[in-house]
Amino acid sequence: MNSGISRRSVLTGLGLAVIGASRVFAQDRISVLHEKPVPASDVPADAITVEIDKMKYQTPEVTIEAGDTVYWINREVMPHNVAFKEGIVAEGAFRGEMLTKDQAYAITFTEAGSFDYFCTPHPFMRGKVIVG
Amino acid sequence: MVFPHASLRLCLTRIGFGLTCSALSLGVALAQTDGASEGQRAAAEAAAALAGGEADEPVILKTPAVDTRRVYVQDPAHFAAVTQQFIIDGSTGRVIGMTDGGFLAHPLAAEDGSFFAQVSSVWSRIARGDRTDYVEVFDPETLLPTADIELPEDARFLIGTYQWMNALTPDNKKVLFYQFSPAPAVGVVDLEAKQFERMLDVPDCYQIFPASPTVFYMNCRDGSLARVDFANGETSVTNTQVFHAEEELLINHPAYSLRSGRLVWPTYTGKIYQMDLTEEAAGFREPFEALTEAERADNWRPGGWQQTAYHRQSDRIYLLVDQRDQWRHKTASRFVLVINAETGERINKIALGQEIDSINVSQDAEPLLYALSAGTQTLHIYDADSGEELRSVNQLGRGPQIIMTHDMGS
Ligand SMILES: [Cu+2]
Repeated sequence: MNSGISRRSVLTGLGLAVIGASRVFAQDRISVLHEKPVPASDVPADAITVEIDKMKYQTPEVTIEAGDTVYWINREVMPHNVAFKEGIVAEGAFRGEMLTKDQAYAITFTEAGSFDYFCTPHPFMRGKVIVG
Repeated sequence: MVFPHASLRLCLTRIGFGLTCSALSLGVALAQTDGASEGQRAAAEAAAALAGGEADEPVILKTPAVDTRRVYVQDPAHFAAVTQQFIIDGSTGRVIGMTDGGFLAHPLAAEDGSFFAQVSSVWSRIARGDRTDYVEVFDPETLLPTADIELPEDARFLIGTYQWMNALTPDNKKVLFYQFSPAPAVGVVDLEAKQFERMLDVPDCYQIFPASPTVFYMNCRDGSLARVDFANGETSVTNTQVFHAEEELLINHPAYSLRSGRLVWPTYTGKIYQMDLTEEAAGFREPFEALTEAERADNWRPGGWQQTAYHRQSDRIYLLVDQRDQWRHKTASRFVLVINAETGERINKIALGQEIDSINVSQDAEPLLYALSAGTQTLHIYDADSGEELRSVNQLGRGPQIIMTHDMGS
């Protein structure tokens, strides 16, 4: 379930805030810079991005290196997110915040592997991040 | 389990006793038949028993034997955490029993009348706390549970009840239930072993139409049907041709006959797609329009909840229609079209005289047309041939929506 993750993330966030670290929270195989979505204009120009539009992840499969960060940017008003089933990026399930139009969400992949994801309210929307 | 077995038994026994009383009193209060009402008849009987010096010996009753005219009315109660199902004798219009369910309980009936069941969800603190999804099987005459099978965590799709989102296989040995999130899947419950078997991964498809003990079909987002074969512990999926265009919207409430494999699927405009589902393949019939061009131009459209019924023996389709805006497809209707499924010819247009949300028919040779109003919580019972209203049963919960029967006829 998700509640455990978000509770832990809040606690971690508080702890890290005190010591001034940059990561909001870390799962087993990913870490997330900002728990809340950020404006698309904040996405670095050289970032690895997956645009979301017309009920699809426009790049359904991206291949990156361990330590790279992927930014998902929603380009339509239909809200979407990035979610992983149990056991994919952590023991539990992981559910990213919903993005509205021109909002972005970043995930840093810390371990090699193949990570299937989906959109929580639209389970027919699926994608994959391959970490080499 | 949430309920220790012993206390579950006790609880149901007590409920059973209460039900007997409430079933009787409902029957007394509600049946509106020709001549003496059920209440008047029962009063005369009781007076005669008293005059004859007969003592009152309170007992737990059984329902009358299951027949094709038994009808189940499920009340999702506008998303209340706890729900009820009313078991009614369609021939007399009497409530003959009730069952309790959890959140958006989904009813199922073995066509041969050997049992009925439900897929349901409860929480440890009414509407919060630990969730338990389960399948419950009932003896059709004592109404006592004969099986209580727990499902994996959060496995059920919680949704306004669609008749075919869950189904029994035609051999009555498996319950198939749908999971929406995190990914489309169909759960298999083994009723013989009384245990959950496994989840089947399926494509982006919805609803479950079993065609054999190990094959069922689903309706997919891409406009095709999926054929899913789950024999021998495997899952193989194939897709049929795309049979409808993207702007043709198939309603959530098709009619399906488990006995004959006929699937009857209207669109928002009343175009009727029909498929004959067998273990081997789906045969597609030529679609036709249920409403005439003139009617469609005059804003006639299907609408309601369970808008479609199919009578297997006579090969007739029943469709709820009325004049409405395009996007008022869930409001009640006041008319039923009766259509020859083979030719598409209209046989009758029945004026119900009521605001009706759901219809179904009994599967005997002289069928009853059941017409349910969620607004007035009343089941109206008509002669399906003449369209004459014969009787009605009221006070059926808060928002009754689903009508289910047993197809026991030859
Ligand atoms: Cu989405």
